[in-house]
Amino acid sequence: MSLSPILLVARRDYFAYVGAWGFWLSLLTAPVILAVLIFAPVMLARAEPPRVLTIVAERAEDGAQVAAAFDDLSLRSARAEIFAYLAATAPALTEPALAAFDAAPDRTAGIAAARSVVAERAPRALAAFPQPSPRYVIAPAPAQGIDVLRPYLDGTRTLPDGRQLFGALNIRREAGAPVIEYWSVNLSHEEPSNIAHRAMRLAMQREALAGQGLDPGEADRLNGFDPRIVQFDPRPGAGDGEVTARQRAPAFAALALAFILWSVVFSVANMLLSGVIEEKSNKILDTILTSVTPLEMLIGKLLGVAAVSATLFLFWGALGGVLLSTAATQLGDSIFGQVAAAFLEPRLLAAFAVGFIAGYLMYGAIFLALGSLCESIQEAQTLLGPVALVLAIPMMLVMPALDNPNAPIIQAASWFPLFTPFLLLMRAPAGLAWIEIAGMGAVMLVSVIVILMLAARVFKAGVVDQVSMSSWFGRKAKG
Amino acid sequence: MNAALEAEGLVKRYGARTAVRDLSFSVPQGAIYGVLGPNGAGKSTTLRMLVGVLRPTEGRICVLGGPVTRDALKRVGYLPEERGLYRSMSARAAIAYLARLKGTPAGKAFKRADQLLADHGLDKVRRKKIKTLSKGMAQKVQVLAAIAHEPDLIIFDEPFSGLDPVNQRVLEDTIRAQAAAGRTILFSTHVMEHAERLCDRILLIAHGSAAFEGTVPQALALAPSVAMLETDGAFDLAAALAPRGFNISFDGEEHGNKRWRAKLENGHDSRQLLQACVEAGAPLSLFEPARASLHEAFVALVGDKAMPGPVE
Repeated sequence: MSLSPILLVARRDYFAYVGAWGFWLSLLTAPVILAVLIFAPVMLARAEPPRVLTIVAERAEDGAQVAAAFDDLSLRSARAEIFAYLAATAPALTEPALAAFDAAPDRTAGIAAARSVVAERAPRALAAFPQPSPRYVIAPAPAQGIDVLRPYLDGTRTLPDGRQLFGALNIRREAGAPVIEYWSVNLSHEEPSNIAHRAMRLAMQREALAGQGLDPGEADRLNGFDPRIVQFDPRPGAGDGEVTARQRAPAFAALALAFILWSVVFSVANMLLSGVIEEKSNKILDTILTSVTPLEMLIGKLLGVAAVSATLFLFWGALGGVLLSTAATQLGDSIFGQVAAAFLEPRLLAAFAVGFIAGYLMYGAIFLALGSLCESIQEAQTLLGPVALVLAIPMMLVMPALDNPNAPIIQAASWFPLFTPFLLLMRAPAGLAWIEIAGMGAVMLVSVIVILMLAARVFKAGVVDQVSMSSWFGRKAKG
Repeated sequence: MNAALEAEGLVKRYGARTAVRDLSFSVPQGAIYGVLGPNGAGKSTTLRMLVGVLRPTEGRICVLGGPVTRDALKRVGYLPEERGLYRSMSARAAIAYLARLKGTPAGKAFKRADQLLADHGLDKVRRKKIKTLSKGMAQKVQVLAAIAHEPDLIIFDEPFSGLDPVNQRVLEDTIRAQAAAGRTILFSTHVMEHAERLCDRILLIAHGSAAFEGTVPQALALAPSVAMLETDGAFDLAAALAPRGFNISFDGEEHGNKRWRAKLENGHDSRQLLQACVEAGAPLSLFEPARASLHEAFVALVGDKAMPGPVE
């Protein structure tokens, strides 16, 4: 094996990819797309107008109980939104602003009071101060009786003010016990019925207490019991052991990095796949193979696309590093600041780097070998269908790994070399023994070597002997 | 003369199928050597073994005095039958890239690419991407890429296929120029005329085996000469000359004249044929002796079924 032809192949592939406009499009748009993916759901949720519900009740007091529950939800969500904003932007103002909110008579006044505290003490933080919009509003029923309401619910008719009715709650009584009917065309959305359910349960508790000759308000007091939960980490070196958002943040950062790793590994592996198919269809391989062995060509192609990935990571890493460092410094103890700092933890970055190198080499070699067996992108796609299903397994395991990184199935799966890069990353925040890290590293190294050797054989069969998927059971040879 | 290339007992099997069987030949240094045979005869498989792309199942290959190694192959230029270039590369970059893979330093590779493109009338397209070139131009660039590193041995697999007659002639000139510069050229073709015009020696392959190896005149000598004749009226020339030992077949009728084709076998030549016609009183309106072609030589050697298709 010689270095010079490997580097020439790598260099050619690198400049071929970097010279394509699609590369620059990916380089520049990926951060924007990522930002959109992160913030779009929040912005969409904020942009959505309140959902209009109406309540029909046999007893007026039942309807009032449920309406009050929706008002309470709206109040609490506004308070939570202000808290989240101030925790991220001006943590010092969180307490006084929320005190002002709590002291106000209603939701609208509470928002205004919190806003005035911020305006007074940190006017710069007002720029993006939330304008909380209630998730639900209760509208008077346009007609009595659920049958009459049906045209409003299925979209045939609108309310007198032109709004569309999202759902209706029909609270009736059967043998004195309340029954909640929720009517809506949005079949998978159950939140309104759950809110009504909690409200009516409280009402039933009050009725029961009153029936026993006790103060009905006692039900509210009992319902308000809220024991404080404190979580501890027993491991040595965990400080006083109390687990805060700072300790949890690395697990969420690992989850995000695992998704990024998976996306990047398969994106670049696909580049290799389509690259080798293009070379086969361009019929360039026979010319090159008089100068380069199949193994050298495989390694050269892997290096070329690795260099493309390195370029992407340098750009994105520098951009992300600056943004995350700034966030970690500026947002300090806030949740965002702590998550930003978690992304920059050396053990996570090291696990990401090792996972990328090993994952890229393994999956890249496999995809190259598969590509060498295909005559067209269409043929590759049919082949990749079942392969992609297998490769989705590590992504199915990351959520259970977030819940319990030391679960037996996660521990066992993390030793399977094709899953190791992703699960090593997920298990890193929980603290891995050095022996495990070394063991997994050795397994990945051996796997990389074995996969490269096997892939080179398949690659050779594909590009030299012209074995293809369509001729798998009968090698064809040219005359 | 030393051999630039020697093959001895070459065999290539794919499972139960044998693509090349017991093939031996030797290409003298400085020669233009043709490997001829119909499609599927085993030409490409043989050439791919010569340049190390395929490993022979059995047999020995000696390239430029040694085994088929990386260093030996740096002195070999190869144009495969299944050919192409990176479509997004410029013509000069494609030529220079393949020269660099053969060990030519970068600066020299680009200079050589520019020179070759200029010499072959492609100066204006040297910075154009391969995908923008016509098929003929792209094929010329591929030929230049095969010789850009100034190899001692050049192996072209079906170099004329896909070229129009003008560019076929240009390629013939290129091959002659390379030979004049002292290089050895081996090319495969199923078009006999190219081999007949260019080759010093030829190898005929049929069904994976060598049917003939030698010079073009030696091959032609194996084919019987023919003569085309025309007679007026109803005269039956075949019947008239059969008693004299001539093999004559009716070849059709034109403007009331009968056309005949005579095979000159059994030691007969065209002069004896003419004399026999005169003696038989044949009313000849045309007598046209013809030299045997390679095509006919190969029919004589391997029969009609193994012969190449129509001339391109």
